[in-house]
Amino acid sequence: MSNTRRQSQSRTPLLADYDPGDYFCEMLGRRGLSHTREIRSRLNALDNGGLRRRARDAETELLNLGITFTVYSDRDAIDRVLPFDVIPRVLSTKDWEMIETGVKQRITALNLFLHDIYHDAYILKDGIVPADLVQGNDNYRPEMRGLDLPHGTYIHICGTDIVRDGKGKLCVLEDNGRIPSGVSYVIENRHLMMRAFPDLADGIAVAEVDQYGERLMRAMTEVAPQGMSHPEVVVLSPGIFNAAYFEHVFLAREMGAPLVEGRDLIVENDKVFMRTTAGLSPVHVIYRRINDDFLDPEAFRPDSTLGVPGLFRAYRKGNVTLANAVGTGVADDKAVYAYVPRIIRYYLDEDPILPNVPTNICREADGLAKTLDNLDGLVTKPVGEAGGYGVVIGPRSSQRELRELRTKLKADPANYISQPMVSLSVCPTLIGRKVEPRHVDLRPFALTGKSTWVLPGGLTRVALRRGSLVVNSSQGGGSKDTWVLV
Amino acid sequence: MSSLLARFAENLYWLGRYLERAENTARILHINETYARDNPAGPDWRRVLDLYSDTERFFENHDQANARAVLDFYILDRGNPTSIAFSVANARENARTVRHLISTEMWTQINLFHNAMKAKTLPTIMLSQLSSVASGMVTHCQTFDGIADGTFLRGEPYSFYQLGKYLERADQTTRVLDIGYDRLSLQDPDAVSSVQWSTMLRSVSGYHAYRYRHPASSSPGDIATFLLYDTEFPRAVALCIQRVTERLHDLEQRHDKQRRDELEKPRRALEFAMDTGPGAKLTSKRLHQFLDNVQISLADMSNAIANAYFGHT
Repeated sequence: MSNTRRQSQSRTPLLADYDPGDYFCEMLGRRGLSHTREIRSRLNALDNGGLRRRARDAETELLNLGITFTVYSDRDAIDRVLPFDVIPRVLSTKDWEMIETGVKQRITALNLFLHDIYHDAYILKDGIVPADLVQGNDNYRPEMRGLDLPHGTYIHICGTDIVRDGKGKLCVLEDNGRIPSGVSYVIENRHLMMRAFPDLADGIAVAEVDQYGERLMRAMTEVAPQGMSHPEVVVLSPGIFNAAYFEHVFLAREMGAPLVEGRDLIVENDKVFMRTTAGLSPVHVIYRRINDDFLDPEAFRPDSTLGVPGLFRAYRKGNVTLANAVGTGVADDKAVYAYVPRIIRYYLDEDPILPNVPTNICREADGLAKTLDNLDGLVTKPVGEAGGYGVVIGPRSSQRELRELRTKLKADPANYISQPMVSLSVCPTLIGRKVEPRHVDLRPFALTGKSTWVLPGGLTRVALRRGSLVVNSSQGGGSKDTWVLV
Repeated sequence: MSSLLARFAENLYWLGRYLERAENTARILHINETYARDNPAGPDWRRVLDLYSDTERFFENHDQANARAVLDFYILDRGNPTSIAFSVANARENARTVRHLISTEMWTQINLFHNAMKAKTLPTIMLSQLSSVASGMVTHCQTFDGIADGTFLRGEPYSFYQLGKYLERADQTTRVLDIGYDRLSLQDPDAVSSVQWSTMLRSVSGYHAYRYRHPASSSPGDIATFLLYDTEFPRAVALCIQRVTERLHDLEQRHDKQRRDELEKPRRALEFAMDTGPGAKLTSKRLHQFLDNVQISLADMSNAIANAYFGHT
């Protein structure tokens, strides 16, 4: 410390005025977390001006590297950079072990659940999860019944949303088992961080994130149709007008796989081919970044121009693997979420390693009553929406908004769940000239072929607006590099 | 190793074409201005409009072919398909589509170029010398091509990028010749100042190369022959055609020596046009007709490539 003080005599240490208030801070904890001591002292040794300059350079670099969301208007393509905060979020070895084993446990249970509900449906017959909640769910695909998938894997790529509550306890907010996005930022953020702040991590053992593409390719190879030792794996994108196109490119590059669109694929005799310069060439595994609905106009939405006619037939014949499988949406539904702890106990006979946020299920009389009695204290979410849309945060809503919500709830209770307000943990974040606390969550990415592997760390999203709990990029969120200490 | 998607082959081909086109348009604007240095009336910008057959389109929205209007049209106007801004924006969109097939450095360079183009405004172009604006744009293109040379995997994607680049370059060199020889009186070469000859050669980075090859001559015939046929000069039409042929051969080898008969006919037609030449006694009119023929053969070649490889049938 004395050394740091000498170096920074003429300036205030970076974190000197930082005050997380009542929130649990990822950097300071309640009494100063010991695992972040070294990083804190290095941050304090950086001067504020230099930090801001390096942050600006990093932002320019993102633009030049084209690591952007693209928003298309009539004449122009506008590139928006996902704001990147230069102060890393640091996870201790112990916390990471819990997250890693907890995520693996959850995905194992969810894959067993999906196999079950599309086969014998024991869990429904045993009354653990209400049958109509599953089979009446919009995301349940009866077309999937009786189809056996390689290794019983439905959710090959998962991005579990994890938060830390006011006491610092980790819990799961959401299982994203359809098409989770954001992994490209995990890896690009790390590269950017190592270029802009090589001094900050120097000599600190931080888990690597570079192996994701290779691991993903390995998982895809493992789930190829039977007897395929050298399968052709492709990434299927809706195209350059999709906001996540950068990520699709990133994944294809990291995997060394062709990036295709629906119009590049064709199904003949229930087999899938791509149109190449040398004619048609067979395809065996498709990492698809297109929703179920749009995959195949013959099987799902007939107006889809993004999909491939006949793809689902080829899938049912076992000639091609889709990752993620069709019909996984029912497992990450916000209503089914509430049952995941029971799902884990049912299939694995284990207690959940990562708890859920306590959840009231409004389709149940008890849950609805608790919700209606306590609207101004709860966060109420429609079960069918993604991206943070339609979420009502009770303590921050006007009487009128709550009245409207009450009407909607009574009209369609099954469409809602409610949860206590989780006072998300905060991270020191560079805001203008100052370092201020901002709320964060964590999305680790897990890959499952034969077995599950979790990328160390994950995407830390940060709500850049003061006091905001909404971390979604579509609503003013940014991201941070996430360091898992080893 | 699987084959390249047909759609990507097309994107790579156009990436090469658009960047080469942007570079040459910048060169042409520059040479047109420089030629007019001795002319008190200033440059005649209608020449450039003629060269790209843009006269009619231009006058739909403009009253006068003055520097301001023409430079806006050819540098900044994204709505004009022959503008540099249009070429760069399209090159970037093509690069974005094949982002996973090109190197990060290539992608970064095209973003830098694209951002630089977006930052340009007419007042800043008019204020600074056109020559520095033009050479800045040329440098961006050359940087890209240099990066591609040093980082682009020599596979199928590279072949299509090169095909686009060299077909466009061949076409553009014929246009430089066309504009150059139209201005210079072929009947009386002595009336033409050596400054003008050297300017045309310099516009295709060919001045010293030409001097090295022909130390004692500045005859219009020698210069035309040099730009058309000297296969040691990187922008000569014959060299570009040679590169196109080589890349087509690579692709056939790669696809199990699959013969592409549909490419043979336009290739021979191109060869024939080049072999015929502009005739022994060079006149402005003959040269123009010859160059027209070559341009048509190049366009046929481009269509044949699209049919053979991009799934256009």
